[in-house]
Amino acid sequence: MNLQTLHKLKSRFVARNVGNELILVPLTANVAQMNELFTLNETGKFIWENINENSTVSEIENLMIESFDIDSAIAKMDIELFLSKLETTFK
Amino acid sequence: MSTNIRIAIAELSIGLHSEHEILLEDGYLPFVIETNKAETDITINCFANIPTTTFANKELVFEGKNESQRFYSIYRSNSNLVFVIYSQQNKDEIQQLAILDETLSNWKIYSTPLDNGEIVPLKYPLGPIVMHYLTVKFDAVMIHASCVLDNQKGRVFTGFSGNGKSTLSKIWSDAGNMIVNDDRLIIRKQNNRHYVYNTPMYYIDVPKKAALDSIFLISHSPLNKVKKISGALAVSKVLAFCIQNNFEPDFIQTKLIFLTELSTQIPVYELGFVPDKSVINFILENETEGTK
Repeated sequence: MNLQTLHKLKSRFVARNVGNELILVPLTANVAQMNELFTLNETGKFIWENINENSTVSEIENLMIESFDIDSAIAKMDIELFLSKLETTFK
Repeated sequence: MSTNIRIAIAELSIGLHSEHEILLEDGYLPFVIETNKAETDITINCFANIPTTTFANKELVFEGKNESQRFYSIYRSNSNLVFVIYSQQNKDEIQQLAILDETLSNWKIYSTPLDNGEIVPLKYPLGPIVMHYLTVKFDAVMIHASCVLDNQKGRVFTGFSGNGKSTLSKIWSDAGNMIVNDDRLIIRKQNNRHYVYNTPMYYIDVPKKAALDSIFLISHSPLNKVKKISGALAVSKVLAFCIQNNFEPDFIQTKLIFLTELSTQIPVYELGFVPDKSVINFILENETEGTK
């Protein structure tokens, strides 16, 4: 999954902060799908909140390096893990 | 001849009015109240026959259905919500049509009359739908759960169908405790305290209320085990068992706010249990106080 696909997905969820985490509840027209809720940890929440229409991986990576005091390799790995996890979740 | 009936669910008053005779299903009868107060929290005007009106700017926003059946559809029409309830005997037949205004306070319910002319406005599933929107309007949630009140504490047990809500209720009941209900509850906040209420079911039971002290997310297990959870995990897991129509962001945010606050005041546990009376002592010995 790329960041643009993820940006489009954002409008299909209602998000709420609970402490350092984020809950995502899908907006759905079908009762059978309404119990699929997702929670994101602090890193996931940061990535989710900083994605906009034209975001690139390197921009998010730089924001993470500034905010979490981590190096580029770890930031990149976190983003890839996040996107890969969401790809599995939203299949 | 006009009919006026008042019922109270979770201490919220509902006024039903019709020019026809209203028939309430048996489960609603203990919830009928006598009052001289003119005002009610919500009003329902009930009519006979389904109108053939077409609604302006009608947009389908939600469908209550499973793989084999469609139970109801919700449309938005201007600022109103329109509910179309389908007959489960004849899936192409509309059983009822209901309109809820934007304040979520005023319903119009149209029902096909019975042979004797009576109408049944709160016939399943519209009755629970009305209760659900009552919780959306007021500070409350409706949840698939059982609630047990012992001498001291109100405990809610929630989980997927088959996970043991009724089993646990029976175990507590056999030990002499009160069951508020073992299937559907309303949790409502009043005066900084959360309370659990039963709702009208298909069988007769009197209205009950219990102060809420803890919530357990239950599953069967070879050993009794309990783990306290908090934060986003607790909120999302409790929300998963709340009855909800997820088409309106504001409705979802309201529920998330309610449950975020609830989970900071009421402890939430994951409970794996052996279906025998050992679970009662296990809970009593292992639960810890929440910060009420």
